[in-house]
Amino acid sequence: MFDILKNLCNLDAASGDETAVREFIINEIKDFCEFKVDNLGNIIAFKKGKSRSSKKLMLDAHMDEVGLIITSITSDGFLKFKTVGGIDVSALMFRSVKINGTINGVICGKPIHLTEGEERKKLPKSDSLYIDIGATSKEDALKHISLGDRAVLCGDFEENDNNVISKALDDRVGCAVLIKLIKEFDEYDFYASFSVQEEVGLRGAKVSAYAINPDSAIVLESTTASDIAGVADADKVCKLGEGVAVSFMDGATVYDRDYYNFALNSGLTCQPKTAVAGGNNSGAIHLSREGVRTIALSLPCRYIHSSSSVANKEDIESMYNLAEYMILSICGGEV
Amino acid sequence: MIDLKNKLFALSTADGIGNIADASNLAFDMLSKYCPCEKADSLTVMGFLKGESDYTLMLDAHIDQIGMVVTDVDDNGFLTVKNAGGIDIRSLPSRRVTVHGKEKITAVFCSTPPHLASGEKTYDNITDIKLDTALGKKAKDIVSVGDYVTFANTPRELINYRVCGRSFDDRAAVACLITVAEQLSSKTLPINVAFVLSDGEELGLRGIRTASFKVNPDEAVAVDVSFGDGIGISSEECSPLGSGAMIGFAPTLDSKISKKLVSLCEKKNIPYTSEIMGSKTGTNADMISVNREGVKTGLVSIPLRNMHTDVEIADLKDLQSVCDLICEYVLSGGVKDV
Repeated sequence: MFDILKNLCNLDAASGDETAVREFIINEIKDFCEFKVDNLGNIIAFKKGKSRSSKKLMLDAHMDEVGLIITSITSDGFLKFKTVGGIDVSALMFRSVKINGTINGVICGKPIHLTEGEERKKLPKSDSLYIDIGATSKEDALKHISLGDRAVLCGDFEENDNNVISKALDDRVGCAVLIKLIKEFDEYDFYASFSVQEEVGLRGAKVSAYAINPDSAIVLESTTASDIAGVADADKVCKLGEGVAVSFMDGATVYDRDYYNFALNSGLTCQPKTAVAGGNNSGAIHLSREGVRTIALSLPCRYIHSSSSVANKEDIESMYNLAEYMILSICGGEV
Repeated sequence: MIDLKNKLFALSTADGIGNIADASNLAFDMLSKYCPCEKADSLTVMGFLKGESDYTLMLDAHIDQIGMVVTDVDDNGFLTVKNAGGIDIRSLPSRRVTVHGKEKITAVFCSTPPHLASGEKTYDNITDIKLDTALGKKAKDIVSVGDYVTFANTPRELINYRVCGRSFDDRAAVACLITVAEQLSSKTLPINVAFVLSDGEELGLRGIRTASFKVNPDEAVAVDVSFGDGIGISSEECSPLGSGAMIGFAPTLDSKISKKLVSLCEKKNIPYTSEIMGSKTGTNADMISVNREGVKTGLVSIPLRNMHTDVEIADLKDLQSVCDLICEYVLSGGVKDV
């Protein structure tokens, strides 16, 4: 699974431009399931299992990642941009980016030696930043890129015995787990949505949930782990190494309480997500049509939405194990 | 220019700070191909090309880089660091770095989680931004107080022969001097050339102080980087990338050298700009010029964007201009007879 995860993370797919990840996933799953690509670019797959449950189950992971979109070019050949999804300025300033998967660039801002007083201690506003691709003029830049092109932060996948560090763990980890389930889990039928445009408002899952029309859903996600120096226990949300995080409520969803309790009492390693913050595709899925009973299993990730998210390998295994357990339990009618 | 790029990228990714000698060892191997070399007791590398007179020109580029040093390791795997050289701490959060402990490990600077962010954040001290090894208790087995921390970004090619990466300050100049040695090694030289790839520039021009004493040159030219252009940077404060070698004029520099460098560029059609400074240059040239009984010293710089970040941007055409200029300068005998 970590080899697949590495390949997935190193692909670029800012929201609305998920082609590279979609093609990779299709190549991985095509021999194990039926699938189609819908009008927005979601992959909707059906995995045939040994048994069919009375409950139609959908699993979701999103393919897109936060990034940038090129909005204009200055006469000097510097690119102005807007963020696609939420990225803090501190994660943008002086970072390498890749545009269209081919052109390298650097996000630049006012150099610190030209700042004075209080300005020296603060980051510039993101609208004052620009991307330098080495172009010498607007015309020169336009030979290499077009307005509307997408860029992502560079942040190659690295791993050691304990952890992985990469850009786009949100949500390539969900994609990796879902690919593995399609390949290896065959007790019950289930549907899978590899969704587009999560980072710009849960848009892909809205239409894939409509199309699948499930009774129940399991969303495989990533969430902020704030178990870092200087943060009080009550603010940590979840902790690396304590298993996948299960949500009772966040900014977008009130989750199915029976599923939540069932997961926490599974005996498998997992932890509650202890903040009512953020949101994920559950927000779109649980309100689809007449409503869908939904659970979110999220990988605790430090420095999410940056070039260097950090997650624990055992937590990723834990996400797979709990997802498998929940499919068995939901399809088996235990919850 | 592909060769210059390959040299720069190799030198960029080898680290050189304090006791971390990777860059120094690599530069020694690269320079040794073209001239006899020796190592000083620090990271400093020296190479010598014999000429037809006793007059010695010293060419300097510093081999050290900015970085950080660990001042505390806590029980949860978070480090406190202090900068060694100037660092823009505002852009540290979520940045990936290498900690040179018992083994090299990757670590990431903590960033404020979104749900805890309130108002505009101020960045006061680097010691407030903890560095996360994500190793928990095990961090103490690998990392000790005093270990060095360096940026980890890999160099990349932009368009138009421009490149970005870390430690281009001053590996771009080191790559140039190694290329100069390569080009001069087969030629008859009117004067001796001492190549000095010096340690400790970022911590107060320290390595060149003792190296200059040892070499005892008649004349010197320091090669460093200086401010390139960008949005909001006054044209008086910088030179555009791609505009060639920046030739320094300053009270601390020898004006005969500055003028000769300009006249060589004019004569040989080498692109250049003049960099005029009102006081000291902030480079090793300031230290070399007051070595022993005083040394006539010049300064040639490469325009660089985003200095002291891990995405410094240089134009390989400028590196080529610097190589061409320094070669011509040596072959012309410096200011020996001026």
